[in-house]
Amino acid sequence: MNLEQLKRLKEKAQQQVALREGHKKYRVVVSMGTSGIAAGAREVMKTMLDEIEKRGLADVEVRVTGEIGLEDVEPVVRIERADGEQTTYAKLDPEKARRIVAEHLVKGTPVENLVVGKEKKP
Amino acid sequence: MLEELSLHILDIGMNSLAAGATVLSIEVLESARRNWLIIRVRDNGRGMDAATLRRVLEQRRSSTKSKRRKGIGLGLALLRQTAEMCGGRFHIRSAPGQGTTVVASMRLNHVDRPPLGNLDDTVLALCAANPDVEIRLRYRTDSTTFQFSSKEREHHEPRTTQTSQREGTAAGCVA
Ligand SMILES: Nc1ncnc2c1ncn2[C@@H]1O[C@H](COP(=O)(O)OP(=O)(O)O)[C@@H](O)[C@H]1O
Ligand SMILES: [Mg+2]
Repeated sequence: MNLEQLKRLKEKAQQQVALREGHKKYRVVVSMGTSGIAAGAREVMKTMLDEIEKRGLADVEVRVTGEIGLEDVEPVVRIERADGEQTTYAKLDPEKARRIVAEHLVKGTPVENLVVGKEKKP
Repeated sequence: MLEELSLHILDIGMNSLAAGATVLSIEVLESARRNWLIIRVRDNGRGMDAATLRRVLEQRRSSTKSKRRKGIGLGLALLRQTAEMCGGRFHIRSAPGQGTTVVASMRLNHVDRPPLGNLDDTVLALCAANPDVEIRLRYRTDSTTFQFSSKEREHHEPRTTQTSQREGTAAGCVA
């Protein structure tokens, strides 16, 4: 690790905080319990963060959470839309994560073949 | 088994956040001279009572997914296994209201020692888990120290520096 990386890390960390302000259209929640971590959830999270940043998607925030009860199909990501619609994706990898950003977050079209659950919360 | 020590650190740090910590300090000491790699994760969360601590410490090598009982996780057992396999030791110090400190040591040159891996992404993930928590990282080798805090503001900039304790390796790197 060098100082440049540290600076970037700090900027990223501050962005994480800044992201909370304002109303976001989408919240991406990455499951990061032990089984998720073992299956590659951190890399999936990083890929989504990078892709979101690269595409300048200002109304998306990325959050990390503990186990969400889908240990057998990790890495798992849930996308929550501001209106309460929740879409859960499973068995992800960086490639699939990029597709989800391009299709779901940019175009609003869920990647149906990766979806394992969908519900509408009030 | 986790492939990187930084993934263990992420996992252990997630425990701290789940325990309501507001400050999470991660220290990594990598000393080639002494042949040790030591990880310390300390939080000011709610801590564990004696029964929980005992249960966690009893959960030893035999931990497998099939034996996993509800409410007893794997994360600490996995780190313990890695430390002991690599010629090191594992400790937890915790008490209700006193926070928790987890320490794992390993022989730096042990053939089975996982690489440290990407600490940046680990800190990033912890920040994304709870942006209100102050995440501190201190990484030391025989010649350098890196310090990072997610809560540090610009006027504290000089503390986010690479300092050189022995050689002049940090020349030009201090912000
Ligand atoms: N930093 C901590 N503060 C308080 N309690 C903790 C901490 N770390 C672990 N624990 C307790 O030990 C248990 C086992 O932790 P772990 O081995 O990581 O498995 P898991 O997180 O899946 O439960 C946790 O469920 C929790 O009760
Ligand atoms: Mg855990």
